[in-house]
Amino acid sequence: MSSDTAPSWQADIDRLSEQLSEAISGADDLEALRAVELAALGRKGSLTALMKRIGTLDKDERKAFGSASGGLRGRVTKSLNERRETIRRQGVLAELSDSSFDETVPGRSSELGHVHPLNRVQMEAEDVFVSMGFEVLDYPEVESEFNNFEALNIPSWHPARDMQDTFWLESGQLLRTHTSAGQVRAMHALKAPFRAIFPGKVYRYEATDASHEHTFHQLEGLMIDRHVSVGHLLDSMRTLLSAILRREVTVRLRPGYFPFVEPGFELDISCQVCEGTGCSVCKQSGWVELLPCGLVHPNVLRAGGLDPEHWQGWAFGLGLSRLVMMRYGIDDIRLLLGGDARFVEGFHPGT
Amino acid sequence: MYVSWNWIGEFVDTTGIDPVEFADRFTLAVAEIEGVSHYGQGLDQVLVAQVTEVTAHPNADKLRLAHCDLGDTTVTVVCGAPDLRVGMVVPFVPPNVTLPSGITVRDGQVRGVDSPGMLASEADLGLSDDHDGLMDLAELKCAPGQAMIQYIALQDVLYEIDNKSITHRPDLWGQLGMAREVAALLRRPLLVPSTEVVWGSKAGPKVTLDDHASCRRYLSAELDHVSIAPSPLSIRMRLRSLGVRPINNVVDATNWVMLETGNPLHAFDAAQIDDDHIVIRRAEPTETMVTLDGEHRSLTNQDCVIASAQEPIALAGIMGGQNSEIRAETTRVLLESASFDGANIRKTASRLGVRTESSARFEKHLDPNTAAFAAHRFVRVLHELCPEMVVVSELVDCGPHVSAPPTPRVVETSRSYLRSRLGLSAAQLSDAWMDETLSSLEFEVTALDTERLAVTVPSFRAGRDVSIQEDLVEELGRIFGYDHIPSQAPMISAHPAALPAGKMQERRARAALALGEGLTEVVLYSFESDATRQRLGLSELDAADQQRPRLTLRNYLSSDMRHMRRCLSNNLLESLEYNLAQGTRAAEGHKGMQIGLFEIGRVFRPIHADQPLQADPGIPAVLTSDSERQTYLNGLSPALLSGVEQAERKAIALPSQPRHLALAIGHRLGGGQKGWVQPLAEVTRSLYGQAVGAIERLLRQMCLPEATFKKLDSTDKRLETSLELNAAWLHSARHAGIWIADRLVGVITMIHPDVRNSLDIPAEAVLAELDLEVLLEIPPVAERGQAPAKFPPSSFDLTLPCTSSVRTREVLDGLTLRLSEVNSDIEVQTQWVRDFFDSSDQYGRAMTLRMTCRRLDGSLSDNDILSVRSAAIDHLDACEGVRPNWGDEIRAMS
Repeated sequence: MSSDTAPSWQADIDRLSEQLSEAISGADDLEALRAVELAALGRKGSLTALMKRIGTLDKDERKAFGSASGGLRGRVTKSLNERRETIRRQGVLAELSDSSFDETVPGRSSELGHVHPLNRVQMEAEDVFVSMGFEVLDYPEVESEFNNFEALNIPSWHPARDMQDTFWLESGQLLRTHTSAGQVRAMHALKAPFRAIFPGKVYRYEATDASHEHTFHQLEGLMIDRHVSVGHLLDSMRTLLSAILRREVTVRLRPGYFPFVEPGFELDISCQVCEGTGCSVCKQSGWVELLPCGLVHPNVLRAGGLDPEHWQGWAFGLGLSRLVMMRYGIDDIRLLLGGDARFVEGFHPGT
Repeated sequence: MYVSWNWIGEFVDTTGIDPVEFADRFTLAVAEIEGVSHYGQGLDQVLVAQVTEVTAHPNADKLRLAHCDLGDTTVTVVCGAPDLRVGMVVPFVPPNVTLPSGITVRDGQVRGVDSPGMLASEADLGLSDDHDGLMDLAELKCAPGQAMIQYIALQDVLYEIDNKSITHRPDLWGQLGMAREVAALLRRPLLVPSTEVVWGSKAGPKVTLDDHASCRRYLSAELDHVSIAPSPLSIRMRLRSLGVRPINNVVDATNWVMLETGNPLHAFDAAQIDDDHIVIRRAEPTETMVTLDGEHRSLTNQDCVIASAQEPIALAGIMGGQNSEIRAETTRVLLESASFDGANIRKTASRLGVRTESSARFEKHLDPNTAAFAAHRFVRVLHELCPEMVVVSELVDCGPHVSAPPTPRVVETSRSYLRSRLGLSAAQLSDAWMDETLSSLEFEVTALDTERLAVTVPSFRAGRDVSIQEDLVEELGRIFGYDHIPSQAPMISAHPAALPAGKMQERRARAALALGEGLTEVVLYSFESDATRQRLGLSELDAADQQRPRLTLRNYLSSDMRHMRRCLSNNLLESLEYNLAQGTRAAEGHKGMQIGLFEIGRVFRPIHADQPLQADPGIPAVLTSDSERQTYLNGLSPALLSGVEQAERKAIALPSQPRHLALAIGHRLGGGQKGWVQPLAEVTRSLYGQAVGAIERLLRQMCLPEATFKKLDSTDKRLETSLELNAAWLHSARHAGIWIADRLVGVITMIHPDVRNSLDIPAEAVLAELDLEVLLEIPPVAERGQAPAKFPPSSFDLTLPCTSSVRTREVLDGLTLRLSEVNSDIEVQTQWVRDFFDSSDQYGRAMTLRMTCRRLDGSLSDNDILSVRSAAIDHLDACEGVRPNWGDEIRAMS
């Protein structure tokens, strides 16, 4: 090879180089660029074909051809890569400056269902009690007269024993009128000392209206220990109710008569609406009656197989239905068990 | 009931106490005050007027003009009262005064005549509901023009007590009992009114007390020379203020003493009772009487009556009889002061639907000693209202309480016990304070030593009120003030607590169905209505199937609630029907065209008579005989107690009440579509598949093994299960039992077309019910940590045309088994992907299966996949129902 005359293939290389660099810079997207790449470097590509010509050349020309064609291949590959990066970059910039994106497009309709508010509140309460070491128990709704009344020191002459308050079954058993029916069950089932709650459905033979239902839900709490005082009850109720009502509550006790506790109390909590200053909700008293409670009557302990000389306790009965109504501002108790899905779907989905 | 602050003030010095402020303390210590009202308030400006002349109103027939003397001046006002007459002394309300009743008297014209003020009735002044005529002030002998309240104590503060809060305190049903509490709270003495009476020498009425069970004490006396007249205005107004209508001096005296002591009294017109002979007995079964309210009462032998020798003259403790009523001409009166049994009074009163001030009190089980006190008080009160009255007879006093007076109850306790139960120290609750408090409540305290006390309970608290030392804890606590007891954190054992398995299971189910499947939870009633059963076509089945016993209520509010539900599905279906209807009518399609509901709750079934009773440790023990039980509960003697504790116990066999879960999914019809719709295969399959998927995911959430679904056959229907296997809604062709291993855990079914028709569920719907108790018995699948497979899997699909008789489960199981035999090094999972329906094809159906292969020891080769594929094709080709030679086509295609 001499340096004064260009070899015959040089023009081909130059031409191809020119063609390819034009094609590369002319490719607007990755797909087009890929086509250019295949057309050049593919099995039947133009550059591939050119490079195959090395076999037809003289030995002394081969080196120069190899260097020139290899150089071209290097340049083509490089500019392909550069072009590819440029196109990608353009794409990124375009995506990042996209003004067509509608961030206000509504979410796809969810298929979340709804848990009944009674169960939601009950589960929440259960969690609060579990966190404080209470067992959670579940007891039958059809009960014996013994568990529902006698064991609870409710004697045969007590008005609650009348037909008018209780649903009686033909079999002589009854539908429990309160979750307190579980008290002696718990005493027999658990080893003292213990603390437990038992929520569930209860029944009263009572005509229904906006504030009365023949079927409603309660949550019974029972703590048995060696020494249980009114002071303990006050502290326990304040702590537990603050957790359940999700606010700091003040509690006060008033005398209340329930045969299965002695002393027995009506427990009032500070009015949530006026915070104790008096409003129409609390009838200007600053207090709202929440639940009955008291120290477990020794006769109930005996019926539960516990010796009142050695064991004492407190108990309370929280109206779950009432709690749900208070929390969600429901003014008609019949909505709870009415079976209308639209009512349940008015609450947040989930648990 | 009402408490009158004026009346309380007669029994205890209330000087310096603001009754409104004190009401709070009273509520915290004694009984709930529902309201404090100011009786007679705003009457300061009401004047006394004397009517001097009455003239006609020129423009109105029913109105007249009253010319009144007001002392210094005169006034003429328009008056509509029919009883207006010259000489009357009446209240005059000047213009612009607002009365407690809310009326503001105008200074204007009435029908064209000036009327600067008005003459008032008791109702106008808010003193009673008596609108009948003007309030007559004549007896006050007051000068016209003076303020009315100078002459009569009309102003009072009334506490309205929540009766429920004193049901256990018979002593609080009278003002005196309330005053005792006030005295104890104020630490001031109680001034008990005098009972001094000189009884006559004549033999008293002849009292024959036959019904000892209903009447524990009966006192009677004969009073003569009575002249019936109205009571003085002050007495009448006091009665009115406490809600009692004044009648005449004798009746008013009985009511006065009832309000004061809490013990109801009755007065008979002696002239109507032969020989003054009074019999207390049970009514004859066919006997009737007319009570004071004019009602004819049919009596039973459960009712206690007061009778003459011939007939009942009073319904004991509830209401007098018309035949012995005090009349205007009555001169001789027989007093009744008695103590009737509370339970008996309550039964009769509630059976007859008549509740009176008297029955309300007797129901509380009054202290017989109060009856004697009340008898004496009556004579003293009547003397004031009717000074010419003479007590002619001795006091007759008889009954079991008199012949065998109960010994006073003594409760033993200790000072330290009383303190510790309240959570108070000796410094906070001193010995002296304790003794003083108990004494002021009329308990007698005897110190046995420095610690032990013997406390004698006053008879008016001994009935069913105070019997154990815990009751004394309450007495001290409430007077001390519960709001002064420091709250004290209990020392409690630290131990782990967790939700029980059943609760966890319910939560998982709830999460799976509500959050996972988008279903809505309902909580329904546990009762099942006959109407529902009828609509569900269950009534006929009930009649045919004696194996379907239900729990039946003895008393029910309506026939809708006569039976307890045996399954959740019946009520859930009705709820689905209701909600579908709401959706279509209100067009609230917020969940598309579907309504999906679920419920978790108990179902109820009686235990068969021949089923062996099982002692359930959670079910309490019961003592065998009633007397043992009673002794045990009364806890009277520790010696007896230990004997009783050893007594044989037996478990009460409660009906089985397992927790179930049911779900129902139905479709709303689109606009315009109405009535019954022929099910479409796609809808059926998609609803069914949706429900099956929901149940599969539910079981997975509960960590349970995979369930299989297959139709129930006649042997299954004889299984012991709490599920309804013979229900009307069960679709004979489109249902499945849900099985885990060999346990039937649930049932799923498309709704039977007849039930859809009768329930007005127009389109197809699916229903499933599972027994949660059975699911709880199935051990959960063990979890194990496993390293991910090293070698990648490869999968291929096969679509095989088949007849509708093919059961996917069988195909899959057979294929899995076959492929596991082909090459033990290759693990193959078979999966159903989808079904196609093509009615043009003679087979009508095709299903796509996916086989995912994985080599345990290395990467899969093409040959591995080919060998699995060809084994699968060979196997499926030979399956019944798959199109013959289908495999050749598949092979040719690849």
